[in-house]
Amino acid sequence: MSTRINQTVNQTARFRILSEDQKQRIFEGMIETLRNTGVHLHHEEARELLKEHGALVDDVTVKIPQNLILDALATVPPVTIVQSWDGTRKTRIEKNQVLFGPGPTPPNFTDPDTLERRKYVRKDAETVARICEALPNIGFVQSLGTISDVTVSLADVYEFAEMIQNTTKPILSWSYTRDTCRDIHQVAMAMAGGEDAFRQCPNYVFYGEPISPLLSDFHAMDKVMYNAKHGIPQVYTPCCIGGATVPATHAGQLVCAFSESMLGVVVSQLVNPGTCVIMGGVQSIMDMQYSVYAYGSPELSLMSASLTEMAQYVGLPMFSTAGCTDTKTLDPQGAIEAATSVHSAMLSGANFIHDVGYFESGMTGSVLQLVMADELIGMSHVVAQGIEVSNETLAVEEICQAGPGGTYLDTAHTKKYGTAHWQPSLMDRRPYEDWAADGKKTMRDRIIEKTRNIIANFEGPISKVPEDTKKKIAEILQAAEDREAKKAETEKKGS
Amino acid sequence: MLDKTMLIKMNQQVHATPMFQILTNDQIEQIFFAALDVLEVSGGRILHEETLALLGNSDAVLTDTNRVRLPASLIEQALRSRSSKSALSGRNGKRSVRLQKNEVAFGSGADAAFVWDPKSGKRRKCVYADVAAAAKLVDYLPRLDFCMAHGRVSDAPNTRTQDRHQFMAMVQNCTKPLVVAGTDAAGLKDKWEMACLITGGEKEFRLSPLFATFIATDSPLTRSKEVMDQLLFAADKGIPAIFSPCSALGATAPATVAGMLVQTLADALLTVVLCYLRKPGTPLILGGLQTVNTEDKTALSYGSPELHLASAAIAEIYKWAGLLSAAPGGCTDAKVVDEQAASESVMSIYNGFLAGTNLIHHVGCLDGGLSGSLSSLVMCDEIIGMIKQIGKGIDVTDETLALDLLKEVGPGGEFLSHDHTFDHFREWFQPTIIDRSNFEIWAQGGSKTYNDRLEPEVNRILETHEPQPLDENVRQEMKKIVDLADKKED
Repeated sequence: MSTRINQTVNQTARFRILSEDQKQRIFEGMIETLRNTGVHLHHEEARELLKEHGALVDDVTVKIPQNLILDALATVPPVTIVQSWDGTRKTRIEKNQVLFGPGPTPPNFTDPDTLERRKYVRKDAETVARICEALPNIGFVQSLGTISDVTVSLADVYEFAEMIQNTTKPILSWSYTRDTCRDIHQVAMAMAGGEDAFRQCPNYVFYGEPISPLLSDFHAMDKVMYNAKHGIPQVYTPCCIGGATVPATHAGQLVCAFSESMLGVVVSQLVNPGTCVIMGGVQSIMDMQYSVYAYGSPELSLMSASLTEMAQYVGLPMFSTAGCTDTKTLDPQGAIEAATSVHSAMLSGANFIHDVGYFESGMTGSVLQLVMADELIGMSHVVAQGIEVSNETLAVEEICQAGPGGTYLDTAHTKKYGTAHWQPSLMDRRPYEDWAADGKKTMRDRIIEKTRNIIANFEGPISKVPEDTKKKIAEILQAAEDREAKKAETEKKGS
Repeated sequence: MLDKTMLIKMNQQVHATPMFQILTNDQIEQIFFAALDVLEVSGGRILHEETLALLGNSDAVLTDTNRVRLPASLIEQALRSRSSKSALSGRNGKRSVRLQKNEVAFGSGADAAFVWDPKSGKRRKCVYADVAAAAKLVDYLPRLDFCMAHGRVSDAPNTRTQDRHQFMAMVQNCTKPLVVAGTDAAGLKDKWEMACLITGGEKEFRLSPLFATFIATDSPLTRSKEVMDQLLFAADKGIPAIFSPCSALGATAPATVAGMLVQTLADALLTVVLCYLRKPGTPLILGGLQTVNTEDKTALSYGSPELHLASAAIAEIYKWAGLLSAAPGGCTDAKVVDEQAASESVMSIYNGFLAGTNLIHHVGCLDGGLSGSLSSLVMCDEIIGMIKQIGKGIDVTDETLALDLLKEVGPGGEFLSHDHTFDHFREWFQPTIIDRSNFEIWAQGGSKTYNDRLEPEVNRILETHEPQPLDENVRQEMKKIVDLADKKED
């Protein structure tokens, strides 16, 4: 039998938006912007650190020379591993390793029972974490809301404490200040079984953001430095609004977003060379009719995929966006916008693709949208994983055996490969008569059923959390409450 | 005076659009050689005397069971004589569907028995008025490039001539190019004669065809008499023929996607050879429905991701072979226009577009091809608009990089009031049914869902859009052909 040689294959589909020359120009645009225009950085310690290493500092303006950027890029780790607190799940942060998950902090939540929009409460954080744990195509967890029924300044900590006990998938947490950033770190260490265990393998990723255009406030940078120092992998990414906070042209927006993340990259690597830092963000445009940040626009898909290519170009992991929509209720608009962005982000190969489940341009979190998107991610993956071409899969002998108009039912080849096809959980392929007899349910009806079923019946890992860990977490929360009470007291006295 | 100095940037290669690829050339070659093997070793079955005679005069090997085995040399000879481009012109005279490498056109479809009526919440048989309404929508909708019959005309005087009535409904209500389906050779001949009345003659039709004909088969590598009659007539008259074999993984094709592609390509190459033997240079468009069976194994899925994957891959293979391609898109297994219909439509439109499929048909089809939906047509027009926006890629120039502007505005500034924003924001996608208002405005407007907004838009177009009328003399001449056919079949 003859043998094949000189073969290049696509093990997955390949999708590229920018050419090498286009990437080079955007990269140069970022270098030039940081060197010529600079950024506003409202953090003295960070400014001093940058100045020490050659940055030009004038009041809050910092201009960063290119060698500082290149040095920082050289020390960013190519692989980072996040391990779940129970040791069962390892998540790799490396080039083209794709995970989807929800987003943080909308003020509202679609109540899964009443389907009404209401304020997000503490119980919802647990619900979202459990649903993420149950969904096979969701790879990380964010809360889809800001808890409204706890001490306001500790909403971030309560959210994290609720979520981490109800999921083994990595959480991308956020915080208001360095204090709550530390609280979250302590909860995570308690779950990991101590500081050493955590340092060896962190069990969460931190998410922080600069402000567009080209500005980092005190708290944002303060958290960057804390997380870098403690080896906590972190995302530092802006939400750029094309035509409002950044130029209306996509190339200009990419330069801006890239530059803003790069400040976090440089500072994190100066504080602790080799700590994991992730670029990206939400990239979309301002809807000029309603002055709304469009979360469902095709521009979001296009720019997110392009920025992912820039991240890959410089060897940084990417925090991208998909599965979100501007609809106010679960409807075909949500499906159109989610399917478009999910498939784009999947093909782009971004690492953490967030905001799955956002309604209403990020103002409402919806687990219904999340459950629907889980199915869309599964569909997208079938296409993205491409086609295996081998003597076995080409099946020439089987085709000749079957002959013209022949059947492949129950052949050995079909028995071997016939089970590999994608099985829908929400898509209905029944004959019309069966569907009509079953109450003419739309996909929306099926999504609501599935979501309620998960909430009612799916346990999550909370029973595996040791009692003394739970006690430790309660203590951390109490200490945080005491500190915030004292702070409030001091502020009251001050005024 | 730096801004007056000429700044020269050299050796720049850009992606003017995104680049998408499922298979490498090496993988495509493997599939191609495997398809040649199949045609040499096992071949096809031809149930058509005239075609068998053509094959008898060629290098093909015939058996007494009508099996035909084709040497690779004959296939490659046929491929070399293919025409790599064609174009369809509507009766408006515009050559609006360019059939050439990496040009994508979208169109409605296809020949459904039923329509879904959102008002009654029921499906019913498709009638003339439905086909006419769909054609009118296609005429209006900016992202639909051709009109393929929405459904079957169940209220025609004769089921055997319903396709002529279908054609009348389409050509009167749509000025864009057409695709005809669900016909036989006699029907094809009638429609071709009707089209020649518009194009001005047989040679004119050959030069600028008004329609392509859609020929589906569900028995791989077998050519029935009906299919061959149509193919040979199309070859004779230069009617672009969309050859569309249908198969399901593990049922009528191997269970592996690569195996299904081999069989589909072999089937397509068989057609290429048969048309070549009749008349070299026949405009052929190779398509098909490569998918999985539904769970009860009674039907083919029109929304499976395997369909999206295989369709994109086979389009790449045809492109590599210098052939034109077609695939279903904007269709679904959902029975109504819901989230399933929306997402399956997005996936087929997106992947078909990225692969550079020439004709993406079946837009507006529900229920695995059994129902047509006017609402879905209008929804898909918006989806195609979004996908085409992504297809524009990223323009990287000094103007779009806007580094000077960024410096001028500076950290913490805003761009909303800037001329640059005003100059460029119109380049963005403009939604039609999609709603981006905030919650309060939306609630004040009655909390309307996508479907609530979609139905009035369908009605608005139907009520207000007036397609350019068909010349009355031509219409009467066409009517005579239809009447004659009805009488003959009566």
